[in-house]
Amino acid sequence: MAPSSFKITLLFSILSIAVALILIWGTAQTAPNLIHYSTLSNDPYIKVESINVTANGIYIRLAVINNGTLVFTPTGGWVEVVETGQVVNVTIINGTVIAKLPLTPQWVGLASVGVKGIVSGVLNGSRAYIAFFDVAPIHIINTIGIADVSYADCVLNVTLSVNTVVPVVIGPIINMSLFTVSTPGYYVFETVGVVNTTVYAPAGSHNVTLTIQVSPVLGRYTYVYSCNYLSGFSKYTLWLPIGVTYMYPTGNITSYTLLTKTLTFIVGGGS
Amino acid sequence: MRVEALLQFALAIAFIVLWVFMPAWSISGANYSISLTPWGYVVRFFGETHVIPPPTVYAVWLFALDVGLLPLVWRRSRYSLYLAALFSVLSLSMLMDTILFQQRYLQFHGYTIAPTPNGYIYVSLPTKPVLGLPTYILLALTILSIFNMITRARWLGTGPEDPIVAVVHVLKALNIEYSRIEHGVEVGGVRIVRQGGSLWLVRGGEATEVDLKTAITEAVKVGLKKPVSVGVVDYGED
Repeated sequence: MAPSSFKITLLFSILSIAVALILIWGTAQTAPNLIHYSTLSNDPYIKVESINVTANGIYIRLAVINNGTLVFTPTGGWVEVVETGQVVNVTIINGTVIAKLPLTPQWVGLASVGVKGIVSGVLNGSRAYIAFFDVAPIHIINTIGIADVSYADCVLNVTLSVNTVVPVVIGPIINMSLFTVSTPGYYVFETVGVVNTTVYAPAGSHNVTLTIQVSPVLGRYTYVYSCNYLSGFSKYTLWLPIGVTYMYPTGNITSYTLLTKTLTFIVGGGS
Repeated sequence: MRVEALLQFALAIAFIVLWVFMPAWSISGANYSISLTPWGYVVRFFGETHVIPPPTVYAVWLFALDVGLLPLVWRRSRYSLYLAALFSVLSLSMLMDTILFQQRYLQFHGYTIAPTPNGYIYVSLPTKPVLGLPTYILLALTILSIFNMITRARWLGTGPEDPIVAVVHVLKALNIEYSRIEHGVEVGGVRIVRQGGSLWLVRGGEATEVDLKTAITEAVKVGLKKPVSVGVVDYGED
C-alpha cells in the first residue's frame, strides 16, 4: 500500500523544518569565518609641506598626499599651531590647502612647530575628514629688494623694499657700481671698499631710502665717471653688495647679500 | 493542471529569476553597499567587492522553487498544497534570517575610519536600506500558496458548485463512463437530472427526488458494475 499523503507531508514538513533550523544554526556558527574585515588601504593623508614666516604673516601650506586610486579633494578645515596656540581656518587655493596666521612675536624665536588640524573634503564622492599632526621646520623669509633707483648730481637714491620678520639695519655697502647695459659697458661710478651708509627698518613691510653722495670723498678708490646718466644710454644696472643685520631676540645676525637692479632711465640732459 | 497552481509556479519562478538581477534586500550608498543576491551578500567598499555567502540564502530560493514545483509534481493530494504553503513560509523565514545575518554580522554604521601616517581619516558613508522587488514577490507567493491551501487551489472557479458537476467529478475520479445529458448525467441506465433546486434520480420510468449523497451513491453503484481503472482529480483526495 502506498504511504498516505498525510504521512508523506508530515515527514517532509519535519525534514524541511529540521533542515531550516540546521541552516540557521550553521550560518550562525560559520558567520565569523564568512565575513571579511576591510579597511581603507593607501588612504590619502595630509602633510605639512612648508611653514613660511614672513612679515605679512605665517603661511602654512598643507599637501594632500593621494597614495592610491582614492582621490581626496579638500574643501575646508582648520589648523592649530601647538606652540603658539593659534587656531585658524584653512583656505583652498587651486586645490592647495593654505592656512594664514598673523605674525606674533613668538614665531621669531622658533625653529620648528607642531601643527595639528582637520581637513574636510570629498573622497571619491563621500564626505571625509583627515586629522593630522606634523612637526615641521619654520622658514623665516626676509626679503629685501631694490624698488627704485635714481641718480642725479652725484647723488644716488636707492629705495629698498624691506619685508622682514625682525628689525633690520641695512648697510654698509661694499664695492657698489652703476654701469650701462651695453657692449661694451661703461661705468658711471664704482667704489672699491666700504661705504658706511646705513638705514634702519622696523619689522614688517616698509620702503626705506638709502641716499649716497657718490664722490671721491667716500674713499680712496671711488671712481666717478659722471655725476649724471651717460648720454646715449638709457639702460643701467646697479650692483649693490650690502650687509644686512637682522636683530633677532637671540642676537644679531649679519649677512651679506648682492642686490642688483636693471633699470631704464629716461635720459635727459647729461654731461 | 489548475491555473491557480500554475500561477503559484509562475510567481516562484518570477521571484527566483528576478532575484538574479536585482537584490532582495540592500543597504545602498555611494562607496559602500550590501546587496542580497541568490548567491549571498555582495559587499562593495571603495571598488573592492566581496561575496559573503550565508548558507541560509540558498535555502530561500530552494524552498521557493519547491513552492512552485510541488503542486505541479504531486497533484493527487491536497497535502501537496499544505506542504507548498509550509515551504513558502520557510522560504520567507530563511530570507528573514538572512537579513538578520546582515544586521548581526555585516552591521554597518555609516562611516569608516582608517589610520594614516600622521593621523587618521574618517569617511562618512551614509547608506539607505532598501527592500527589493523580489522580496515583495516572495511575500505574494507566500500569500498565494496559503490561499491555495485554504481553497484547495479552486478560487478561480466562481459561484457554488453545480451538484451535477460534483457527481461528474466523482465519476471521473473513479474512471466510470458517463455521458452528459441536458440538465444531468447518465450512467448505465440511470439518469441524474437537476430540476430547479432539487435532484431527480430517473431509473427506468420512475423518478425519485434524492439528495446529492444518494445521487452519487446510486451513480457509483451503477458505474462500478463496469471495469474500473485509476484516474486522477487534482487535489481531490483527502
